Amino acid sequence: MKKFGAVTVFDLLIKYIKEGTIKLDKSRFDNVLATYHDPCNYGRKAETLFGHGYFDEPRWILDQCMDNWIDLYPTKKDQFCCGGGGGTLTTGYNTERILYGRKKMDQIKATRATMLVVPCHSCHGQMNNIKKEYGMEDLEVKYLWELVADCLIL
Amino acid sequence: MEQTCEIIDMDQLDHGRFGSWSFSQDFCVTCGLCSSSCPASGIDGFDPRKFVRMVSLGLEDKVVEARWPWICTMCAKCEHVCPMEIDIPAMVRSVRGLREREKVPGVLHKGLAAALETGNNLSLPKEDFVFILEDVAEEIAEEPGFEGFTVPIDKEGANILTTIHNKLVNTHTEDLKHWWKIFHAAKEDWTVPSDNWEGTNWGLFTGDDEAMKIMAGRVAEQMEKLKVKNLLWPE
Repeated sequence: MKKFGAVTVFDLLIKYIKEGTIKLDKSRFDNVLATYHDPCNYGRKAETLFGHGYFDEPRWILDQCMDNWIDLYPTKKDQFCCGGGGGTLTTGYNTERILYGRKKMDQIKATRATMLVVPCHSCHGQMNNIKKEYGMEDLEVKYLWELVADCLIL
Repeated sequence: MEQTCEIIDMDQLDHGRFGSWSFSQDFCVTCGLCSSSCPASGIDGFDPRKFVRMVSLGLEDKVVEARWPWICTMCAKCEHVCPMEIDIPAMVRSVRGLREREKVPGVLHKGLAAALETGNNLSLPKEDFVFILEDVAEEIAEEPGFEGFTVPIDKEGANILTTIHNKLVNTHTEDLKHWWKIFHAAKEDWTVPSDNWEGTNWGLFTGDDEAMKIMAGRVAEQMEKLKVKNLLWPE
């Protein structure tokens, strides 16, 4: 017995953009090179558990916000872990957590991007927390919906 | 990395111990792809392959005591590369669930216990929560294009109800604004509940199914109470 529906962050943003209920200024970040990180729960794990991984939807949303973004390598199902999942931001094992963000940081450095877009609170927290450890203080970590909000034409 | 060989008492081995677990752990071909893919391999001399073998052999005390299931980020890269499709992340979670709750590391169980008792991980009283939301809404209303902005709390019959991650009413209140601005621009009929707003569900991390059900059930209850049509759970 279905009493209410559920929408994902991606589907809701796409609905607003496609229906034209929100308009976005694509030139807002013309001078910024961005990249995107696939969180495990929206990607690999969603695909296994629910039969659909949200890989293409966030990339479509990025395309509506900016021309200048490139993918990490490897990507989508092969994406490296940010190191902040599974509750590791709260277990107190911080040295370990910082250590296994190293591959993620190498990936981002290789793109020369100055902005990292993520749709996950844990990835966002982890990336902001460890970037200084890897000489990436200037990396701007942005929620996907923050990017959309920044590009809104009112 | 230095590793020492530990002699295990044969009495500890019980292959049937986790026989009812349906994670295909006994199908492991010990290829080691999981270990190569894991961001936490090597810590404490552990890796996923070793963990799978220990579960398969029924070394309960060893796996439950080990730090490694808690250092694992549950990123599922191991499962993705596994040729035998062994569900390693779910196995890790089940092992976490076997540990005494007082021995769950960090603030994970404490936060969850607070949420079960008070409705949110921070034990934030309702009036403080509402005060923070309204304060942030006033800040938004000062920005051009958002004149007159208010936050619709407990609005019955709204189209969308959004849960709130506790850090957004703690140290990261600025991050409340993004979704709210989008709702405003989209002229969405939305609401935030003043009860059961907690979007995190730390039973996912502690292996506590019962707690997860309670937390998710409260969100569902809130949806029905306010007769909201759609749930947005950004956490």
